[in-house]
Amino acid sequence: MLVEDLKRGLYSAVIEGDSEKALGYARELLNTGLDVKQVITDVLAPAMRVVGDMYERGEYFIADLIASAEAFKQVFDNILKPRLTSSTISKGVVAVFGTVRGDIHELGKNIAKALFEAEGFEVIDLGVDVSPERFAEVVESRKARIVGLSALMTTTMIEQEKVIEELKRRGLRESVIVIVGGAPVTEDWVRKIGADMCGDDAFKALKKVKELLGAV
Amino acid sequence: MPKPSLTTLSRGEALEIHSRALDLLSRVGVRFEDPEVAKILLDAGATRVDDRVLIPEEIVSEALRNTPKKIDFYDRDGKRVATLGDNALIFNPGSAAIKILDYGATEPRTPTLEDLRNLIVVVENLEFIDAQSTALVPGDTPIEIRDAVRLYPILRYSRKPVITGAFTVENLSVMLEMLKVVREDAWKRPFTIFDACPSPPLSWSRVTSRNVIDLAKAGVPSEIVSMPGLGATAPVTIVGAATLHHAEVLSGVVLAQVVSRGAPVIYGGSPALMHPRYGTPLIVAPESLLVSLIYRDLARFLELPSHTYMGLSDSKLVDYQAGAEEAYSALVAALAGFDVISGPGMLEFESVQSLEKLVLDNEVCGLVKRILRGFGMSVEEIALEVIEETVLKRGGNFLPHPHTRRYLRREVHVPRVWDATPRSRWSVRSVYDEAHAIVTKLLEEGPSHELSPDVLTELNRVYEKLWKRAGSEPKYV
Repeated sequence: MLVEDLKRGLYSAVIEGDSEKALGYARELLNTGLDVKQVITDVLAPAMRVVGDMYERGEYFIADLIASAEAFKQVFDNILKPRLTSSTISKGVVAVFGTVRGDIHELGKNIAKALFEAEGFEVIDLGVDVSPERFAEVVESRKARIVGLSALMTTTMIEQEKVIEELKRRGLRESVIVIVGGAPVTEDWVRKIGADMCGDDAFKALKKVKELLGAV
Repeated sequence: MPKPSLTTLSRGEALEIHSRALDLLSRVGVRFEDPEVAKILLDAGATRVDDRVLIPEEIVSEALRNTPKKIDFYDRDGKRVATLGDNALIFNPGSAAIKILDYGATEPRTPTLEDLRNLIVVVENLEFIDAQSTALVPGDTPIEIRDAVRLYPILRYSRKPVITGAFTVENLSVMLEMLKVVREDAWKRPFTIFDACPSPPLSWSRVTSRNVIDLAKAGVPSEIVSMPGLGATAPVTIVGAATLHHAEVLSGVVLAQVVSRGAPVIYGGSPALMHPRYGTPLIVAPESLLVSLIYRDLARFLELPSHTYMGLSDSKLVDYQAGAEEAYSALVAALAGFDVISGPGMLEFESVQSLEKLVLDNEVCGLVKRILRGFGMSVEEIALEVIEETVLKRGGNFLPHPHTRRYLRREVHVPRVWDATPRSRWSVRSVYDEAHAIVTKLLEEGPSHELSPDVLTELNRVYEKLWKRAGSEPKYV
């Protein structure tokens, strides 16, 4: 099979929530010599985005989301993760991830979490509907160097700004790298609220985080 | 007298589901959080595999043979109000709401003990809501006694029977003591039913299993309310959820009978469909109602009194959805012949109560009861002579005929709040506004069936003890 066919196969298998098929395609894809990171950016992340959209449109139910998330996890844990090399720079560094208050979407956050974990970071997942106070508390108590704030809706994006305000109020803003992610997040928004980077491309974000950590 | 009724399962179908549930109990078994409770069943002949208690068919059959088929049910003052097991049709407010929705509000708030008292005063005056329930969980009382304090205003201000339940092992005995000071033979001629819920799938918490045991020992009726969540804690298929439900209820019946042979037990339930998109528990979804209809027939097959959570709504407001869900679920439950129907007043997945909705639901219950009463078939009622006379000699007008007046009140139910006025007499108010006016009036009039002063003194003594245990001074309402 051609690489493009395998990619399409993996893409559909994740959307359909067929773990077994997804594992098969992923294995073959890596055998063609395709880079792990490309599998994620070209196939898995877009597939999960489609799954999220289908849920929003009412075509997919919770049971479907769970099946797709499981297919993603199986492929990531069993096939991709073992081939990712963690860097020394991430060792012992705590990253706190969560979906902001009022928002319960976690597909994007979970992809970022998987990548950061694979890279060797210690990821604390606060789940969904997380208040600014809770983010700040955990950043403070766990001495986190990275905080990732996910928001899928334009109505909840504003919460990302509130988290940054809360971090500032507690004097934590300078000690932590703030990543904001989610469909409506743009570079303009990142600048406007004073975050450090946009998490729309998890690999780019990861690279930038490592640069920043290295520079400190 | 012909009456409408609704059956869902044939005898053969009921037997099949019953057999499958027996199979579940003997092969998969039930998990009891409390090892001492598990031991009671093991001593009675059940076996253990890992942390599960496997209950063989013989024990279940023996328990069913010993369970009373009928339970006479009384009011606070000792008057018999119904026989459970005879399609008693006792509507009562959906219980243990953690919020109350005020008139005109869109956000519900945490209720107080005062709110519960007001609810009780309103329900006491609603003719077709036959029993009270510990309908609100008052947020202004100490958390460790929040179950038991709810009984106080009911016993004080209402004559109606009570559907209740405990959230703790310890407070149940205080609740039973409160009943006993109100009427010495409160346990022998019961006016309360206590709910006890297994935790799906096929497991029992320490508190609820202990409650079943303590109630059985006291001889107080318990209602085993299984709550399968279709697509979450139970299969998404209707019959799969009903089979699981049945097995759970049977495990509760067995526990009660093993502890005390002949203990009164009611076959209850509150099935809910997990919404496929939002994960919310829909009590009034058609799928949930179908599970209730199935187990109603299983209870009938086993000749056990039955209970359900219907006659309520999952809507957030007292709106079109609330009225529609209320009416069709209440009617379906009544047609199926449930003895106890918990639900009126309730909104939002069994979490919110509304006084206005209670008044409106009372209308629904009245209409439903009218339908269920059916009609007579006497010669007088067939009225052949009246028809002949009116058609041939009275110009076809039945209104002035004495037969009309003779039967009018008996035959016709006239709702009070439902709008049936001609436009010229219409008050230009919605039924929701009318309901609020009634609530306001009832609260202004205040309680009507207060406990006699000497009994109240005794009740206050037990109530005070309860509060002291929580380290507080009692709050009287």
